[in-house]
Amino acid sequence: MSFDLTPGDDQRQILDAAQSMLDSHYPLSRLRDAGHADDLAPLAEFGTFLLALPEDAGGAGFSLVEEAQLHAQLGRHMVGPAAVATSVAVRIALAQGDETLAGALSSGEATVSAGVARQTDILILGGKGAEQCLIRTAEGAELARLDTADTAPVTSLGHGSPMSRATLDLVGRGNSQADAAALRLLALLTSAQLLGVATQARDLAVDYAKTREQFGQPIGSFQAIKHHCANMAIGVEMLSAQLDMAAIALRDGREDAGFQIAALARLAPRIALENARTGIQIHGGIGFSAEADAHLCVKQSHILRQYLGANNLMSEDAPMAPLREATL
Amino acid sequence: MRLDETDQMRGFRQAARSWLADNVPGDRPAPDGPASRDYATSWLRTLHGGGYAGLAWPEAYGGKGLTPETLLIWYEEYVRARAPSTLDCTFVALNHAGPTLIACGTEDQKAFHLPRILNGSSIWCQGFSEPGSGSDLASLKTSGRVEGDHLIVNGQKIWSSFADIADYQELLIRTDPQSKRHKGLSWVICDMSLPGITVRPIRNMAGASHFAEVFYDDVRIPLSDVVGGVDNGWATAMTTLGFERRTAAMALQLELSVKIEDLIAMAAAAPGSAMSETLCDLRAEAAAVRAMTYRTVLRDPETPFDGSLVRLAFAELAQRIHRAAIDILGPEALTDGPWVHDYLESYSETIAGGTAEIQRNIIGERILGLPREARA
Repeated sequence: MSFDLTPGDDQRQILDAAQSMLDSHYPLSRLRDAGHADDLAPLAEFGTFLLALPEDAGGAGFSLVEEAQLHAQLGRHMVGPAAVATSVAVRIALAQGDETLAGALSSGEATVSAGVARQTDILILGGKGAEQCLIRTAEGAELARLDTADTAPVTSLGHGSPMSRATLDLVGRGNSQADAAALRLLALLTSAQLLGVATQARDLAVDYAKTREQFGQPIGSFQAIKHHCANMAIGVEMLSAQLDMAAIALRDGREDAGFQIAALARLAPRIALENARTGIQIHGGIGFSAEADAHLCVKQSHILRQYLGANNLMSEDAPMAPLREATL
Repeated sequence: MRLDETDQMRGFRQAARSWLADNVPGDRPAPDGPASRDYATSWLRTLHGGGYAGLAWPEAYGGKGLTPETLLIWYEEYVRARAPSTLDCTFVALNHAGPTLIACGTEDQKAFHLPRILNGSSIWCQGFSEPGSGSDLASLKTSGRVEGDHLIVNGQKIWSSFADIADYQELLIRTDPQSKRHKGLSWVICDMSLPGITVRPIRNMAGASHFAEVFYDDVRIPLSDVVGGVDNGWATAMTTLGFERRTAAMALQLELSVKIEDLIAMAAAAPGSAMSETLCDLRAEAAAVRAMTYRTVLRDPETPFDGSLVRLAFAELAQRIHRAAIDILGPEALTDGPWVHDYLESYSETIAGGTAEIQRNIIGERILGLPREARA
């Protein structure tokens, strides 16, 4: 078949390998220490940031489809936007012919943090001690040098993973701007991470519903709970099918790539947050505590949503536009 | 994973597009009765003449045996050309009864019925639900008593779409009076012209009378019209449903991607307005339902498959798209028209063919592995 959406063997292998790496370096339990900040070196060592690069740039022969799937797995482990920032920054460096920077970033010698700008106020979402920051602005994204001496720590939402703040006028600094391709990649990978969050929320809730007993039976046997879980599964399936569609379209340079990515980015934060909310509800009291993991999905959904930026779906042409006028 | 259209596929798309442009009727079908049958059978004959009938059926039975990828292309062109809804009175025969006969029927049954289905000369309806057996289908009571080489059928079916204009019915009855639940049922071909059958059409909330109650009073059905063996009807019926789930809904699911574009054009909502935000969400979800349709059809057939996820995502999105249309129409929504009609019809999406609640139970139990609820 020329159309085939069955995951290939090599795709399954790389994702299996990634799973062991994530289980050993990024278990969810690490986040029970509220001050924990991830070190992305194990991700770089795994080859996360060069997986889908052209082979002459050190790529491993995989494509954006596998890269997106890998970011969905990172999302399940709440790895966060610094990994997206690094993947995108490597492309920005390559597009500008800066192979030294691209090499340093993809090998983990240099690191990039993820930031969100409101005018001159920059909130750095993750990526401790990085000397560069991929900053999401109202119009796009740009890669800026950031002196850690100029940043001040801030308490993040729910007293979770550390964030910091800087005041920086982005204008006239000669920052590298993300081009349209880099912005699409940013949206694809951030949405993939949101899929991971939605999936994690579903799995935590379903596992809990199978073991928690009330009225003498697992709560998952009650339709009120079962139907919540089913809704979470539908959300995951919608998002995951759309992620494949968008990743293939972007990889192959299809005409509808812009539409597919924008549709994905529209769905992703909504579904992730809805699953996160439902997940807490299914957990009950323990879900509201910071001693279970369900709350992490809420916070990660908000963080990733801010990194996704504004959505432009309505300005894209639809691939299924009607060919005849409607007869009303 | 890939979606590369080969030259051959592109050629098929182009040919389909221009054939549809020349042949799709400009008028809408009558909502019910013999006029709706004439419209549907005339369209099926046109499709048959153009070589576009029975596309999913095996070639050995008069079909085209198209690959899933080519079927997808066909239905994308079909809905973009605004061809008539596939959910007309030919639907049960083409998507349920025919495929069941192909899978479980005798050579005689196949030789007689399949050509008549494909050329539009026989219309079928479904006789599964009963007044006391809706979601709990396996509790059905309509009985068939073996007498010589006939079954004597007594009982009542309901929600049988197009029963008033159908020639045959796929009828599920209890042939072993001692049996319970899924055992002791039989799937039979019921000739709707047999003595003892009474059909009472039921008007639905959209004003159309396309479903009906059917009463059976000592109806004599030859044993040779049993499909898949006496007392083996549940297995035969499940074959039907299995086929339905993978491909039959393809056109309906893809059509939402066209409907939302019509709605966006009709609304002309100001960017940033609440309506624009709603339409944007609906547009994204329609894209996702299309992506789910692709995934359903284009994954290795060996992959475990459950249609409930896409079925439910489709059904609830269809309702919300039509609901948005009503909001856009304002007072105009109080008068009859295509959007208003389709809006009212859309209430059936989360009931017909398995309610949303039953689908959610299936997702919870079969896909997520949650325990079953204690049942009486």
